[in-house]
Amino acid sequence: MPEPLQLLKNVVDAVHPLDPSEWDSLAAIWKPFKAKRKEILTQAGQKEDHLYFVVDGVQRVFYFDEQQREATLVFTYAPSFGGVLDSFLSQQPSHYSYETLTPSTFIRTSARELFQVIGSSRNVATFVQKGTTQAMSGLLERMVELQCYSSEEKFKALLKRSPHILQLVPHKYLANYIGIDATNFSKLMNSIRI
Amino acid sequence: MKKISTHALLDALEQQTESHLFEAIHSFQNLNEKKLLQPAINGGWSIAQCLEHLNRYGNYYLPEIKKGLEKDGSYNDEFKSTWLGNYFIKMMNADSGKKKIKAFKEYSPAPNLDAPAVVAEFIQQQETLLRYLRSARNKDLNKIKIAISITRWIKLRLGDTLQFLIAHNERHIRQAKRNLAQANVTSTQSRMAILACI
Repeated sequence: MPEPLQLLKNVVDAVHPLDPSEWDSLAAIWKPFKAKRKEILTQAGQKEDHLYFVVDGVQRVFYFDEQQREATLVFTYAPSFGGVLDSFLSQQPSHYSYETLTPSTFIRTSARELFQVIGSSRNVATFVQKGTTQAMSGLLERMVELQCYSSEEKFKALLKRSPHILQLVPHKYLANYIGIDATNFSKLMNSIRI
Repeated sequence: MKKISTHALLDALEQQTESHLFEAIHSFQNLNEKKLLQPAINGGWSIAQCLEHLNRYGNYYLPEIKKGLEKDGSYNDEFKSTWLGNYFIKMMNADSGKKKIKAFKEYSPAPNLDAPAVVAEFIQQQETLLRYLRSARNKDLNKIKIAISITRWIKLRLGDTLQFLIAHNERHIRQAKRNLAQANVTSTQSRMAILACI
């Protein structure tokens, strides 16, 4: 099995294991995809055509409006799913964009193909449901952090969850993700820099 | 000058800019202010001064490149350097142009800088440059002309300006990296000195 599919299988097995034939039909719908740094994969206003599974690199889902307001909503990195999930599942135009923040490697599938497999395999349907539930739990947890935590606590929580991200992503995106300004972020950085 | 493929040229420039961004993200943005502001051992620029010098070039060139890209709609799959363009690129090249160049006063930053802001600005500019390199892919790099920063009277072809600008970035990123090697040595030494005290 190619390495990206093995990574995907590990994730699937951890959430909801499939019968071998079900895994085969799920494994069959993924295609390799590569992007360079700072490429927009999904533009706000368009519908999300793909579900990505990240093999390498960091990406973000973000909001950007005509008043130049920007909110980094989600970071994705290996081994996890990527793309604008709500637009993908509803097949409605996305309010958010999805872009790479580093050169990235993925496998991805289309909504049509995934829905076909979901339709014919009960366990794949359960896997998608459990996966979506986990993603929702993660989002609610993050809302608590955003609303209750101090800047310093948010900074520490980010580093605890993803210690490698400081060397991978420009700090402005990290500051934006936890909702603090860049100057404040670099002050917090100075307290841990050596 | 020999004609070269526009795509091959932009591939190479994009790759180089990617490596400059990687360096800034992976290492420079994670250094503390002291390391960023520490002068080179030979009394030369600190890492922050190197990057600020590049930012000032970017402040001039990036808006000019943007205007140039917006103006011309034609496409050419080949690019040919001019004699003068090639001369400037060679001069800036970190391998072939070994001679030290004295920076103009307004491009020569003082040592007391807001170091994290300088690094952030550098990253911002390189991301912008990447975007421009991509939109240059369906343009004619011979036809778009950009005035050089020291005088409006000399214009270079966009293909030459991009090569010149990125060779200049490479030159000073290497200079900054030499400081980094030195900063690491000093911090290892000071750590050892602390250990000796204990």
